[in-house]
Order: sequence, then structure tokens, then C-alpha cells
Amino acid sequence: MPVLILALMAAGVIMLISASKDMSTYSTFSQVKRSGDTAKVVGVLAKDKPMYYNAEENPNLFRFYMTDQQGEVHEVTLQAAKPQDFELSEQVVATGSFVGDEFIASSILMKCPSKYKNEEVLVRSNM
Amino acid sequence: MQDIQYIGEHLLPGRLGHFFILTAFVTALLAIVAFRKKVVHPDDISWLQLGRIAWGIHSFSILAVIGLIFYIMVSQMYEYQYAWDHVSADLPMKYIFSAFWEGQEGSFLLWMFWHVVLGSVIIFTAKRWEPGVMTWLSLVQVVLVSMIAGVYFADDFRMGSSPFLLLRDTMQAPIFNNPNYLTLIEGNGLNPLLQNYWMTIHPPTLFLGFASVTIPFCFAMTGLWEKDHTAWLKPVMPWTLFSTGILGLGILMGGAWAYEALSFGGYWAWDPVENMSLVPWIVLLAALHGNFIARHTGQSIKTTYIFYILSFLLVVYSTFLTRSGILGEESVHAFTEMGLEWQLVGFIFLFLLTGIYFLITRNKSIPVIQKEEQIQSREFWMFVGAMVLMFSAILITFSTSIPVWNKLVDVYGSLMGKGDMTPYHKAMPLDPIDHHNRFQLWNAVLVSIISGVALLLRFGAMGWAEYKPRFLKHVGISVVLGLLLAYLFSLWIQLPSWQYIVLLIAASFGIVSNIDYMINFAKGKLTSMASAFAHGGFALMLVGIMVSGLNKRTLSENRFAQEGLAEGLDVGNNAFLIKDLPMFMNNYWVTYKSDTLEGLTRKYEVEFVKVSETGDTIEHFTTHPNILYNRELTKVATANPNTKRYLDRDVFTFISGLPPEQQDRANLEKIDSSLQYKLHFLAPGATTKAGSYNIRLDSIMLGTKHKEYDPEEDDLVLSGMLTVTDSTGTISEKIYPTLIVRKGLLYSLTDQVNDFNLRTRIKASALDSLFPLDNMLAYEPLVIRSGETKTWRDLSLTFDGVDKNIDHPNYRSMDGDIAIQAVISIKGKDNKTHIARPLYFIRDGSPLNMKAYLPDIGLHMKLERIDPQKEEFHLMLARISDKPLLPLEIAQEAPRNDYIVLEAILFPGINLFWAGSLIMLMGMFIGLYKRLRKT
Repeated sequence: MPVLILALMAAGVIMLISASKDMSTYSTFSQVKRSGDTAKVVGVLAKDKPMYYNAEENPNLFRFYMTDQQGEVHEVTLQAAKPQDFELSEQVVATGSFVGDEFIASSILMKCPSKYKNEEVLVRSNM
Repeated sequence: MQDIQYIGEHLLPGRLGHFFILTAFVTALLAIVAFRKKVVHPDDISWLQLGRIAWGIHSFSILAVIGLIFYIMVSQMYEYQYAWDHVSADLPMKYIFSAFWEGQEGSFLLWMFWHVVLGSVIIFTAKRWEPGVMTWLSLVQVVLVSMIAGVYFADDFRMGSSPFLLLRDTMQAPIFNNPNYLTLIEGNGLNPLLQNYWMTIHPPTLFLGFASVTIPFCFAMTGLWEKDHTAWLKPVMPWTLFSTGILGLGILMGGAWAYEALSFGGYWAWDPVENMSLVPWIVLLAALHGNFIARHTGQSIKTTYIFYILSFLLVVYSTFLTRSGILGEESVHAFTEMGLEWQLVGFIFLFLLTGIYFLITRNKSIPVIQKEEQIQSREFWMFVGAMVLMFSAILITFSTSIPVWNKLVDVYGSLMGKGDMTPYHKAMPLDPIDHHNRFQLWNAVLVSIISGVALLLRFGAMGWAEYKPRFLKHVGISVVLGLLLAYLFSLWIQLPSWQYIVLLIAASFGIVSNIDYMINFAKGKLTSMASAFAHGGFALMLVGIMVSGLNKRTLSENRFAQEGLAEGLDVGNNAFLIKDLPMFMNNYWVTYKSDTLEGLTRKYEVEFVKVSETGDTIEHFTTHPNILYNRELTKVATANPNTKRYLDRDVFTFISGLPPEQQDRANLEKIDSSLQYKLHFLAPGATTKAGSYNIRLDSIMLGTKHKEYDPEEDDLVLSGMLTVTDSTGTISEKIYPTLIVRKGLLYSLTDQVNDFNLRTRIKASALDSLFPLDNMLAYEPLVIRSGETKTWRDLSLTFDGVDKNIDHPNYRSMDGDIAIQAVISIKGKDNKTHIARPLYFIRDGSPLNMKAYLPDIGLHMKLERIDPQKEEFHLMLARISDKPLLPLEIAQEAPRNDYIVLEAILFPGINLFWAGSLIMLMGMFIGLYKRLRKT
């Protein structure tokens, strides 16, 4: 029996190590671009830049500009409907990667300082 | 700030509240001492009495605090921050409970409330264990009360956050310079997302679950402290079973809420908050199994202790994660910060260190059986299963705690003077669902197989030699039938990888072996089936997870709007649906049929029709997703999904987008000001052109048929009835641009033909030209008799008679009124007949009248006097122009406003998930029933 327990534990440690490889990092646009990986970019919505969503043309395409923590402004493309009250977001965490010059987000998490406390909304482009 | 005498504040409930919080704190401390003394001096009954009295006062105080908060909230005393933050005048009373536990303080109180209830049950039932268990429970209660104490030490250290804080003490605002500020403020109200019945039933169940985890912990700590390591294993069992059942139910309700009312599109998203309610439950299950082993064989008592202590610590840890704000960037629904981080850390460490202390000091006295468990014994496999559960819990906690690891890195950095450690920070896995599924899949495989086999084995491998053939026979049957069942399932479920094939086989084996156990071993006796129900239900749940998760299919695809998409981008989940225009998607014709406003909710009707190749309708259903507006009806607050349920599948629908102007009124003005309107003056009957479209003014109306118009008393309404026709003359549509004067303000309702992108509105100047003041009119008299026809200028008037059914829009009848309306038909140059109905009435002896106005011919008419003797009616007539003109503004290229963006997802077999989960929980409750009946 101790053998089996040890085997289980070993399997567990291996799993833990491989699980820790799944961890991602918080990054900036320039870092993500350089590395070519998928990562999470924390930033704020660039409110002086235009936002694009036209359901009539494509209900699954939303574009906005985001300022990352290094102050770099970049356009973000999300293949989903525009989240409700996105204009009011205080903070945006965009998970995605670069395809050419375009930052494609697979999900965005936004925090809203709405009058109903800090509301947070997660939008995924696919399931 | 100088002293201000505020008006209308109620300070008494707050003072009473503080008093009861402090009383609850002190009496819980007293209860610790008293119950402990009773343990030390078992013969001295007076300590027990003192403990019970202290607990009684403590319970009363907690209830009083809760009662006072409700009082403050129900009375909307906005001088209290808690009331201001959570209720509002328009909040329905049925949500008052939700508003109570929406806040952190309220949810802590809910937790304490359940401890009070459970503690009282302990006092009445636990007998020998009462003083020990109550000592620990009182200690937990002390810590929890401190979370809402709101007591300051040394100016800057605050212990707890009180629910009785005054609003003016929590924020600086100029409004508090006004002694009468209370008349000027309104409550925030309850987040619309939380205004549903799930918010009423989910938190109390979940917190009862959390609170019930404390009891087994208290039993375990008592066993350790008193060095009585075996006797507590029996009385703790019902509590553990109760806790696993209730906590499981609470978690499941959270999933049901997410699925039914939120927009996640699923019942489980591996969100940190969800994870951290699941982990204590898993650990408690491990503890339950350790407990079984210990009771039957005397082995693994130490493990059982550790598991019980861990399950409670994880509840505390979960509280820390969700309430300290540490999850900020990672979770969708963590609480907001309350400034209690260090207090929560202290909470964890207090019980962690106490637990470790007692485990170490009692280590030697815990009996260990030297005989090794046999591999053919049930306990051996139960133990392995418990380890698998523990491992599952460790893995989930590890990934969910990433923000904590980051904090630890920061602490390390600051201790070592390394400065900014942010480059070393990690983030949650990019796709948490895939991450957790990939690892937990193996735990699920092991649990289903092990639970299936273990149940067929006997404790201590009793009589293995003769039992062996029977065991092998049943395992063999289960394997064969399990494989067959897995094959049948695989015809239905599309499995994406071999890992899922393994899981399906394991789950099918689990289902079959547990059914086998129910039939051949439990022999149909319900109380013997508890574990078979629990394990079989789990296996069935796994199949439900696979079929609903793996075969989940997005119905709403958008094939007509794919242009402009870069290569490799996915299609997305949202479809664009124009009103009344059926769209074909994934075998369904989907039509957005209508929408209706009820209160603050706009309900949409979306029709799904499936047609066979021969053209017969084979499936037809309608869903009603809705959106909820804010209180002013100007902005969408939230969207609620709606699901069509079948036995074998669900169709989930959700409004994910609306025309901008319907999401927020502010957008309407923005869009309107970006359009290029051209002014046209149109006489009734005349036609103008905008691009290739012909626009005819059929009539100028007092009133409107505009669908957005919601009548209010004393509205003054003017609209144009327009017919818009395309160049070929085949398509024509009626629209009703409208002007409304309401309480001195002018509102304009634009109306548009979406297929032509044509929008119209009436220029405000129409009010001056079409609604002249009465004193600007030069009335001329005309006397007419019943049936007579007379000419006035180019009009020919016939007096058709009088009508006593009054329909004059401005007339409000009063008692004693005598009123009639004259009916006069008027023919003009256009040879059309118009009917005027001027009103004449006598009120309090004086004759009064109200004019009739026919805007199409610009005619104002009063019935000023009736001469009954001569049967003459004295009319007054006036007209500014014989050809009134409507100033109409027309814009082309207006965006559509008659569409929804719809997300529709098909969940096959989701009922297997619900059924499996419920059967599993039922197994736990059967186990509880069995044990309660025995005692």
C-alpha cells in the first residue's frame, strides 16, 4: 500500500508541475508582440479613441483602443458582441495574442464603477 | 467640520446595533470560557448553565443585530450607509433579503445566524459533546463578530466593518453641510443582476453549507483537545453528511443561477469564487470517507482529523479570497474590498496554528493500528479515493491561489529589499476551463472507478477467500455492461479526445456498478443505498457534464456578415436578427417576432422553427429573453437569458446586443445629430420625395400611433401619419413621427422605415403653426340647427346631432356635470369628410365648452351656446390658414433600429447533469436519515 500511495503522490507532483506550466503572465503590448505568445494585458480603455461595433455589419466584431500599463496604446479586436457599458470600464484585462499587427483578444474582463458597486464582466469570444 | 444639527436622522437603531454587536462579542467570549470550564470540571453543572446562558444572550444579540438592520433597510433610513447602499424606494419587498446579504456585513451575519441555529441544535442534542463543541463554535463566533465590530484601536487599526455606520461618516461630500441632507438623497438599490429569486435562495443555502462545515471541525478539535480520539467519530457523522448535502446543494444552486439567469452560457466556469466554494466540499468528502474508515477499522484517525480541520480552514481561506479583493483582476464575482485583509489573514492563521498545535501535541496519543490494510478491503480503496479527492482539491486551490502566490512574492521581495516584484507575477491560466477540465478529468476517472469497486468490497476484506468469486463476477458484469453503456453513450456524445473516451467508460462503469449494488447488495432497501446513490449520481453527473459541455453547440451563427473578417478568425456566437425577418441558422428558422415593455423589463419574443425536407414543421418553440432597464427607463441595466427546456436538451437564448439608441437614450441624440435632416413642408394629402422614396402626409393627428408612445395624463400630442413608398410603388409602410408636450417639456419621437434607412421627425416649430394660442384666433359665429347644412368660407358643415358619450381628450368628468358633444361633419375642397366633436357642458350651473380642432383643415370649432327653445346651436369657428403645413424633417442613411443580437446555445442532455447531481446529494441525505434514525 505505501507503494501505491507513493505512486499517487508522484503522479500528483507531476500533475502539479504540469499544471503550473499553464500559468500565464501579465504583460504589455510590446512584450506580447515580441514573444509571440498569448498573454494577459492589463490596462484601461483609451476613451479618446474611437470604438467600433456595428451589429449590422458583424455582430461578432468589436474593436477598441486600450492603454497598457507602460502607456502604450493599441487597438484590440474581440470577436464577440460589445459588452454592455464598456465605455464606463475602469480597468480592462485582455487575454490574447498578436496576429500580424492586430491584437486579437480571446476574452476581456472589465471592471465597471457603476453605481451598483464594482461590477465585473467577463466576455469570451468563443466557448 | 463644525457641528451641524442634522434633521430627521434616527440614531437610536445604530446605537442599539453597536450595543448588540458588542454584547454578542462579549457573550461569545464568555461562552468559550464557561463551556471550556465545564469540560475541565465535568461535574460542575453551573459552568454548563453559564455557557448556555451566554450562548442564549449571544444568539439573541445576533438576531437583534439582524433585526435592526432589517428595520433600517425596510424604513429606508439612508442616514445609514448600509441602507443607502443596498435598498431604494422602488426596491420590491421580496428582494429585501437579497439586499441584506448583498453586502459583506450582511453575509457575515447570515453566516453567524446559521452558527447560532446549529449551535442551538448542538446544545439540545450533542449531550457529552456539547461543552467541547460549543467551546470551539463560540471561538469561531468571536472571530466572525469581530468582522462586523467596527471598533477602532489606536486610531488607525479598525477591527471589523460595522453595518451601522452613518453615511456621513463614511464619505466626505458637500451635501453633508446641509442639515437637511436626508431629504435630498436616495438609496442606491440592489444591483439589477441580483434581483431574482436565486439571490433569495442561493446565499442562505450556501452559507448554511459553510456554517455546517464548522461543526465537524469543532468535533474534531474537541476530540484532539480532550484526547478522546475515537468516541467523536460517531456523533460527527450526521453533521458531516448534512454538511456535504447542504453545501453541495448550495454550490449546485450557484451553478443553476449562473446557467439560468446570468450570461455565462453554462453552469460552471471554473471562476475562482466558484472554485473556492467547491474545494471545502471536496475536502469534506475526503474527511467523510476517512471518518468511515476510522469508524469501521480504527485506521486513519489522524488523516480524518487533518481533513476535517482542512475543510474548515478552506472555508475560511475561501472567505479570505473572495472578500479581501485579492482576486480583483481574476474573478467575475468577488466581493469588493472592505479593508479587512489582515483580519481575514489573522482568521486563517489563528485556526491554522491552533490546528497544527493540537495535531502535534496530541500526535502520540492518537491510536494507530499497525496492521496494514489489505488491498482487497473496502477501506483501502476508500482511502485511495479520499487521497484522490484531496489531490483534486489541492490542484484547484493551487491554480486559484495565483494572486496569493503573487502577494507572497511581493512580501518576499519587500523583506529582501528587492523592490518591485511585478515581473515575477503570474496570472491565471489563459483558458481556466480547459486547464481545470484537463486535470480534473483524471480525478473524475479515478473516483468513478474506485467508488464502483470499493462499494463491492467489504471492510477488512472479511471472508475474502469465499467472497472473491462473487466480487469478480460483479466487477466483470459491471465492466461488460459499462462498456456497452459507454458505447451507447458514444453514439450520442461526440468525444473530442481519447481522454474523454476513458472518462466516459469510467463513468459508465460507475453507473452500472452502483445500480448493480442497489439491486444485488442493498436488495432494494433504501437506507442501504445511500452510497450507491451518491456514487452512481456522481457518475451520471459526469456523463451529463460531458454531453452538455462537449456537445454544446452555438445555434446563432451569422453567415451573412462574415465579410471583412481576417483569415482564421472564428465565426462568433452572435447572430444579427432583424424584426420579422426569419434567418436560417443551424437547421432552425429563427425570427425576432416582437418586444413588449412591462414595467422596467422589455421582453422579446424569438421564434424557432425547424422544418423537415418535405417542408413540414417538426419543431416549433418560442423563447422570451429580456432586458432590464434602469429606473429611469433610459438605459439597459442587464440582460436576462431565457431557456427552452426539453427532457433531452435545452436551448439557451440571450440578447447580447441591441441598437445603440435602445441601449442608452443618450445614443439616440448622438445618432440623430449625426444625421443630415432635410426640412420639407407638407400639406395633408401632399407628397414629397426623399431620394427615390415618396412620402405622403395622410393626416395630421392630435394623438399618435407611434409604438413607443406611452400616454400620460395632460399630454399634448401631435403626430403626422405618413405613408412611405419605394420608387416601384410595391413596398409601402406607415410611420408616425410625433411631438409631445409633457409637463412643459417638448419631446420628439422620431419614426423610421428601417428597410429604406429613412428617418423622420417633426420640427418643433410645428407647435406654433399648428397649435396657435386661442387668443390669436379670430372666431366667427355660426348658428346651426340639427340636420341643417351651412357653408362657412369654403367648407360645408352639416349638424348630424348630439352625442352624450363624451370622448373629448381634455375632458375630465365631475359629479353633477351635464355634458354633450355636437357631431358635425365638414366637407372641404378636398371633398373629404371630417368630423368635429366640440364639447359643451354645464358645471356648477355655469356653461363651459371645449373646442374641437381638426388640424388637417386647420379648423377650430367651439359650441358656445345651445338655445333649446329654437333648437339652435351657436358655434364659433376660426381658421388661421386653409392649408396647414407640417414641417417635417427627413434623413436618409439612418441606421436600423429594429434588430437584436442574439446568442443561442444548445445544451444537449443537460438534465443528466442536474439529475446526476441531485441523485448524488440525495444519497448524502439518505445517509443522514439512516444515521439520525439509528440514534
